[in-house]
Amino acid sequence: MTVAASCAMAEPRAVRVKHRLRWGAWLLSAIVLLVTGMLLVAAIRAKIMNLEVFLTYFTSEQVLLGARNALILGTLALALASVIGLVVALMRVSGNPILAGLSATYVYFFRGTPMLIQLLFWFNALPTMFQRLHLTIPFTDIVLLDAPTTTVVTPFVAALAGLGLAEGAYMAEIIRAGILAVDKGQRAAARAIGMTEAQVLRHVVIPQAARIIIPAGGNQYIMLLKSTSLASAIGFLELLRIATDIYSSNFMVIELLAVAAFWYLVMTAFATAIQTVLEKTFPQR
Amino acid sequence: MDTSLKAAAVVLDSVSKSYGPVEILKNVSVSIAPGEVVTLLGPSGAGKSTLLRCINHLETISAGRIYVHGKLIGYREVGDTLHELSDREISAQRRSIGMVFQSFNLFRHMTVLQNVMSGPVHVLRTPKVEAAALARDLLEKVGLPDKADRYPSELSGGQQQRVAIARTLALAPSVMLFDEPTSALDPELSQEVVATIRSLAEQGYTMLIATHEMAIARDFADRVIFMVHGEVVEDVPARSFFTTPRHERSRQFVARHAG
Ligand SMILES: Nc1ncnc2c1ncn2[C@@H]1O[C@H](COP(=O)(O)OP(=O)(O)OP(=O)(O)O)[C@@H](O)[C@H]1O
Ligand SMILES: [Mg+2]
Repeated sequence: MTVAASCAMAEPRAVRVKHRLRWGAWLLSAIVLLVTGMLLVAAIRAKIMNLEVFLTYFTSEQVLLGARNALILGTLALALASVIGLVVALMRVSGNPILAGLSATYVYFFRGTPMLIQLLFWFNALPTMFQRLHLTIPFTDIVLLDAPTTTVVTPFVAALAGLGLAEGAYMAEIIRAGILAVDKGQRAAARAIGMTEAQVLRHVVIPQAARIIIPAGGNQYIMLLKSTSLASAIGFLELLRIATDIYSSNFMVIELLAVAAFWYLVMTAFATAIQTVLEKTFPQR
Repeated sequence: MDTSLKAAAVVLDSVSKSYGPVEILKNVSVSIAPGEVVTLLGPSGAGKSTLLRCINHLETISAGRIYVHGKLIGYREVGDTLHELSDREISAQRRSIGMVFQSFNLFRHMTVLQNVMSGPVHVLRTPKVEAAALARDLLEKVGLPDKADRYPSELSGGQQQRVAIARTLALAPSVMLFDEPTSALDPELSQEVVATIRSLAEQGYTMLIATHEMAIARDFADRVIFMVHGEVVEDVPARSFFTTPRHERSRQFVARHAG
């Protein structure tokens, strides 16, 4: 009361506000800039890279092919992983103990073993397990596919299966978290207006889970694009494989690594852009 | 039972419901006539929400039968066995039973208009243009014509609840269930929701309303059902519940709430 009274009485007076300086943050910025500068100077002094070589290879046909292959493989693997992830997540929340158990086991295995081992496994094991792939439409004589497994399971197919299956385990957990985050009341309301379980999922649960799934999914897309480099181990001509092939003959190691790194950055920017667009499509409400 | 069953809007015939060993509804029998407005009163934990959620099969009952306009809810009776209906059949039954929740439960990712359209468009497959026209009509009715393009999070609680009421009305339900429609609102906002519900009562909707809002029970309900621990203690005309409560528990309840 007395405070309010004295305030009302006081002459109106312009007041300057002086904010506290965040010393720590400024100091840290200075140190980081300094260290970065020193590293750059050292790199330039040592002439670690020939810029001309870098530019020639940056847009060379082989490198572009590698980048394209990596982008296609990563993108298709994400699509496959999303479908697998959705199915596995729905199994997990289905309430059926066997489906939930299968789902948990799937996640345990595919998240618990290195991706590289999985790629090598599919590439080598599938042709051993099935010598010949023979696919017909049941109860007819129409043959869809009949070929030796080695010709069907190319490095690309094995890499796609391996990356998609492994990533599917991560996506399953991400999607499950998204589904669980949707308020129970939303589902009750959707059922109460007469939606079937499938409609509840499609019109209410998935769109609301999406805003939680998308940021995490974008992260996985970026990891996956970079993980395509693992496919070099089974002879798939992706970006890193092509770069190492080139530098093992011309010894321009740093230049070609830089070329590859740069293209990975471009792909990451692409993935980030898609994520941003999707986040705007499914905003936080 | 059979003739009254056909005539009544809602019939609960010896309904029991347990969660594990705990019995939440104990042999509840209730009948509501078309056009009747019934309030469901009782202390917290009495089983009011559970009873409402059983009527549209959001919860399954352990014993007894529930009929809405003569149709057995949730099951098909063959001989002396009840077979649970398919997902599709149950959702078809729910279309004619409107439900309004304490926490509104408007679809967060949809605008107000889309919320009100959601039933007709997704469930009845009404063409969008037609559904939008109907939705605008209903928003007008609940007094919110200018909020059509807002999202639920941009509305006050009272406005959200009125949108939720419009959303259920869009399916032209034959019975409306309200689960404490005003409990999440402060007195002023609850007034506007009560007014909306009252106008529905005047239009002849059949309604079963669980509430702590005595204004609903006293001013325009035909009947009061008073529950304690899963049992119906009183089922009497609204007036007599407040003037001459018969049981000790209802006397205490009236004294505390109507004071
Ligand atoms: N899913 C559940 N599992 C176990 N018990 C439950 C469940 N849902 C409700 N109950 C119990 O059932 C009883 C009745 O709950 P209900 O929500 O129907 O009461 P209510 O009359 O609506 O109370 P309120 O006025 O607080 O809303 C409570 O004792 C509650 O703990
Ligand atoms: Mg309740």
